[in-house]
Amino acid sequence: MTEDSQRNFRSVYYEKVGFRGVEEKKSLEILLKDDRLDTEKLCTFSQRFPLPSMYRALVWKVLLGILPPHHESHAKVMMYRKEQYLDVLHALKVVRFVSDATPQAEVYLRMYQLESGKLPRSPSFPLEPDDEVFLAIAKAMEEMVEDSVDCYWITRRFVNQLNTKYRDSLPQLPKAFEQYLNLEDGRLLTHLRMCSAAPKLPYDLWFKRCFAGCLPESSLQRVWDKVVSGSCKILVFVAVEILLTFKIK
Amino acid sequence: MAQQANVGELLAMLDSPMLGVRDDVTAVFKENLNSDRGPMLVNTLVDYYLETSSQPALHILTTLQEPHDKHLLDRINEYVGKAATRLSILSLLGHVIRLQPSWKHKLSQAPLLPSLLKCLKMDTDVVVLTTGVLVLITMLPMIPQSGKQHLLDFFDIFGRLSSWCLKKPGHVAEVYLVHLHASVYALFHRLYGMYPCNFVSFLRSHYSMKENLETFEEVVKPMMEHVRIHPELVTGSKDHELDPRRWKRLETHDVVIECAKISLDPTEASYEDGYSVSHQISARFPHRSADVTTSPYADTQNSYGCATSTPYSTSRLMLLNMPGQLPQTLSSPSTRLITEPPQATLWSPSMVCGMTTPPTSPGNVPPDLSHPYSKVFGTTGGKGTPLGTPATSPPPAPLCHSDDYVHISLPQATVTPPRKEERMDSARPCLHRQHHLLNDRGSEEPPGSKGSVTLSDLPGFLGDLASEEDSIEKDKEEAAISRELSEITTAEAEPVVPRGGFDSPFYRDSLPGSQRKTHSAASSSQGASVNPEPLHSSLDKLGPDTPKQAFTPIDLPCGSADESPAGDRECQTSLETSIFTPSPCKIPPPTRVGFGSGQPPPYDHLFEVALPKTAHHFVIRKTEELLKKAKGNTEEDGVPSTSPMEVLDRLIQQGADAHSKELNKLPLPSKSVDWTHFGGSPPSDEIRTLRDQLLLLHNQLLYERFKRQQHALRNRRLLRKVIKAAALEEHNAAMKDQLKLQEKDIQMWKVSLQKEQARYNQLQEQRDTMVTKLHSQIRQLQHDREEFYNQSQELQTKLEDCRNMIAELRIELKKANNKVCHTELLLSQVSQKLSNSESVQQQMEFLNRQLLVLGEVNELYLEQLQNKHSDTTKEVEMMKAAYRKELEKNRSHVLQQTQRLDTSQKRILELESHLAKKDHLLLEQKKYLEDVKLQARGQLQAAESRYEAQKRITQVFELEILDLYGRLEKDGLLKKLEEEKAEAAEAAEERLDCCNDGCSDSMVGHNEEASGHNGETKTPRPSSARGSSGSRGGGGSSSSSSELSTPEKPPHQRAGPFSSRWETTMGEASASIPTTVGSLPSSKSFLGMKARELFRNKSESQCDEDGMTSSLSESLKTELGKDLGVEAKIPLNLDGPHPSPPTPDSVGQLHIMDYNETHHEHS
Repeated sequence: MTEDSQRNFRSVYYEKVGFRGVEEKKSLEILLKDDRLDTEKLCTFSQRFPLPSMYRALVWKVLLGILPPHHESHAKVMMYRKEQYLDVLHALKVVRFVSDATPQAEVYLRMYQLESGKLPRSPSFPLEPDDEVFLAIAKAMEEMVEDSVDCYWITRRFVNQLNTKYRDSLPQLPKAFEQYLNLEDGRLLTHLRMCSAAPKLPYDLWFKRCFAGCLPESSLQRVWDKVVSGSCKILVFVAVEILLTFKIK
Repeated sequence: MAQQANVGELLAMLDSPMLGVRDDVTAVFKENLNSDRGPMLVNTLVDYYLETSSQPALHILTTLQEPHDKHLLDRINEYVGKAATRLSILSLLGHVIRLQPSWKHKLSQAPLLPSLLKCLKMDTDVVVLTTGVLVLITMLPMIPQSGKQHLLDFFDIFGRLSSWCLKKPGHVAEVYLVHLHASVYALFHRLYGMYPCNFVSFLRSHYSMKENLETFEEVVKPMMEHVRIHPELVTGSKDHELDPRRWKRLETHDVVIECAKISLDPTEASYEDGYSVSHQISARFPHRSADVTTSPYADTQNSYGCATSTPYSTSRLMLLNMPGQLPQTLSSPSTRLITEPPQATLWSPSMVCGMTTPPTSPGNVPPDLSHPYSKVFGTTGGKGTPLGTPATSPPPAPLCHSDDYVHISLPQATVTPPRKEERMDSARPCLHRQHHLLNDRGSEEPPGSKGSVTLSDLPGFLGDLASEEDSIEKDKEEAAISRELSEITTAEAEPVVPRGGFDSPFYRDSLPGSQRKTHSAASSSQGASVNPEPLHSSLDKLGPDTPKQAFTPIDLPCGSADESPAGDRECQTSLETSIFTPSPCKIPPPTRVGFGSGQPPPYDHLFEVALPKTAHHFVIRKTEELLKKAKGNTEEDGVPSTSPMEVLDRLIQQGADAHSKELNKLPLPSKSVDWTHFGGSPPSDEIRTLRDQLLLLHNQLLYERFKRQQHALRNRRLLRKVIKAAALEEHNAAMKDQLKLQEKDIQMWKVSLQKEQARYNQLQEQRDTMVTKLHSQIRQLQHDREEFYNQSQELQTKLEDCRNMIAELRIELKKANNKVCHTELLLSQVSQKLSNSESVQQQMEFLNRQLLVLGEVNELYLEQLQNKHSDTTKEVEMMKAAYRKELEKNRSHVLQQTQRLDTSQKRILELESHLAKKDHLLLEQKKYLEDVKLQARGQLQAAESRYEAQKRITQVFELEILDLYGRLEKDGLLKKLEEEKAEAAEAAEERLDCCNDGCSDSMVGHNEEASGHNGETKTPRPSSARGSSGSRGGGGSSSSSSELSTPEKPPHQRAGPFSSRWETTMGEASASIPTTVGSLPSSKSFLGMKARELFRNKSESQCDEDGMTSSLSESLKTELGKDLGVEAKIPLNLDGPHPSPPTPDSVGQLHIMDYNETHHEHS
């Protein structure tokens, strides 16, 4: 009840008039006020509503486990992360893998490689497909998150989540995509199959990179809100919607 | 015209002598009449009849059917208007009317009637008048209702004609007047009979006038003597008489008879009913009254019925004037009575009276010998009562005693025989008859035969009067009778047979003779026997009678019997009776009739039916007529009061006599011839009168015939009634029989009923007795029952008493028990108390003893006390005070204790609450701890990740360093090129292995190494690094190798750990190349420092480990500082801490969870 009383009494009207997000921000703030952050609530919230950009980084960090749920330890943990980031960066610089000239995304990639022990002997070694994915995501993330430490960590954890949490579900997505497309527009699917375009659809771009580099960051943020909060199926719907919208055009 | 001619021819042929032609012509005429409706034929026929007076034409005219009547009547009317044809047409009318055509009712409306009446009023011809009056008289009963219109005309005619009789206008022959008078007399009767009131009023008015008075005196008054008072004069009225309803019921013959009924004239009167009786009686009475009024006969007469006697006294008186009629009346009524017993409706005794006429008959008909027989027969044949009555009545007439039939007859017979044999003959049959009758009922024929014989003869005498049928019947009867007679005794048959067989003039001759004889005999006998007066009278009459007897033989030849009696006028009164009554011809009818009526019922109607009644009646009628005529003849003698009929009769008789005389005188065969033969032409006037007379006579005759027919009709009807009555009688008898049977049944039933009743009574009595018995039993039983009931009641009361007593006793018992129990209880208590008291007593005794003892002791003590009293009191007081203090102390102590207890309890409560709080706090603390732990873990994880990153960094760095070393060695040292190469290869291998093992393996490996490094990091400074390294190896080859290396490169202490580290990390490979270990410390000056820093950092983060390690290092330093040589101790020392390093690790790991251990370890 206390929550309700604290909420804006105009919230009902906001929603009716169409101003979404006002209430979400408020409720998100209420959620974030809790000392021990409830990740699950945050998950459901982010799945339902688009996150306000000012809280997105924080929420993402909390959801991705970069920050612990306790506010007290945030600063300390953040300091650790930063130190770690600096150390790794320093190390990379020492071993001359990275220079000031190297783009930030690549820096993040090398850092990730280093931390995962996959750093190649030489920076000139060709990049592997996973690294390409990381790069794309890092580039997109670079646009979204200003702080490089945050960016690195979010990217790293995001990719890590894709590799661990969605390892099993990602390969299933193309099938799910076809299924939903059939439901939405069977004719289109048959048409795609007719012209044998179905297998040639950019599944990697869509599902492995999570539309990184495909969609503008402003909209990508929204999509990734869902992905961060633990639902990779949003990717399928986004893909279906893209097809449908472009079909209309 | 041709038709007319044809008709004329036919008419001519009508009178042809040929019978066949005549019949044919009549048939043709009838056919024509049926087909032709025109008046022509009828007119021609009438004309023809008037011309020729042919019989066939008359026959045709009289049988005219309906449509032609009008023409006929018109024609007749037409001719009536003409004086010339009036007479003939009137005769024709009479012929027509007498046959009573079906259209007779139209006569009243026809114009003929007024014209006829007018003619009768106007005409002066006596013949015409007489004929017309007769026609009118005939017509009147047929059209009774017409009287309304023409009544005055009738009366006028009567008045005119009656005055005619007296005044004799013009030169009317006296002879005609007689006829006219007779017809007027008939008219008088008719009018009086039909319209008495009107007629009487007319007479009153008409003859009240002076000019008519004479006529009344002379003509009408005598007529009135011959009628009785009409009942209608009393009951009816003028209007009622004229009422058509009155006449509707009556037929023509009824009217005629009605008229005849009121007539006292024997020639006119009807003898159907009571009147006839009265006639008879009245006829009888003259004699009676004449004889002796005191005679017992009068008594009987009176006894028969004063009612009858009185009313007829007048008539009787009237009749006294004409005693001559008496026998006739006597005979005829008697016959009537007997033949028609049902007709005697006035009262039944009259019939009996009629039956019992025998007693009177002797008086009445003294001259008749046969009469008694007949009467007696009638009576004997009849019921028993007649026998009785004669017996009583006889006194005046002993002859008529029933038992004396024979005697009566015998005396008569005996009287008669002397006179004549014939008389014997006649008497004998009578005797025979009597015998027959007495012996055999069925043999009544003999007298009948005689009668029949005479009857059959009579018609013969009468000539025209006898009809053919009658004669035939008579013949038949004759034959039957003759047969019967022949069957009877021969002796009897003999006299009969000649008579029957003869039927000859001789026989005829004998008859009158016999009659005369009988008559005389009878008169004589009568006179001798009973009545002198009648005898006288008869004798008086006999006197003149005798000369007449002389005529009789003369009469015989001429064959007319009636003329002979008619001839002797002088002896009329007596003779007429003698003529008819005594004679067999007179006897039979009564006898037969007597039989008919007198016979027992079974035969009665059979007989009547069997016998030709009509013939019978006819005979009677004839006799009557004869008598009438006879009377008429006698009347002519001048007896003023004699009826015109009689006068007429007499006239006829006279005429006949004269005629016969004339004829006898003249030997000529025919009269006409006689006249002519006489020489002188017969006087035309005489002839005319004679002719007219003949015509008148004929008319009269026809009128009488008409009357006869009416009577016949009447008779037929009466006969029907007789038969019906007989049938009813039979039915009655049958009913009586049935009644008897039923009565018998009823009797039987009554008897049975009585029996049943008796039985029922018996049963009832039995039942009653039974009931009474049962009642008594019931009563007894009830009494017993009541007694028993009373007894039971008593017993019950007793029982109840007993019960009550028992209950009371029980209660008492209970009470007693209670008392006993109570007392027992009390007893036990008492015993207890007793025992107690005993024990108490014992105790008391004991106590008493003790008391005694104690008393003694007390005394002793008292003595002692008294002795020692001063010492003890202080001590006791002291002690008491001490005790009190002590008590107070204890009490305060107790108080304290209780207070403490309270406080402690409060304290306990407080502590418990504190405990709860503490627990709560503990829980909160725990939660908080958890929270903190989580927080710490998060930080730790971050730190770990940092640490990981550091490790990776170091690895990268090492890799880089090694790479750099490798380059250096390549570039700088040739000798060590191969080694360098090998090392590069190893490094590459190692790197490859690391990559292959994965992060986790490498991490574990690094941790172990790190722990190893920890051990080594302390060792670098002390010289006992070898030992530590050796100890690090944990024995085995590693320690040996370190031992081996130490001698070689002691200065490179710092490199040692590195090499050792390398060795351990690289496994067996490092062992094979010990050289590399030795080279490490040289190039480690900077890196070692860095590494040291890194480790330091790490160790710092783990303060507990640091503490440990520091303590360890201190202890090591101390040990190391003492003596290097004490190698033996080192391993020992090392052995001590050696197991501990893992323990600190494990402890460190557990540290987080368990504080106590850490404490323990610290402490």
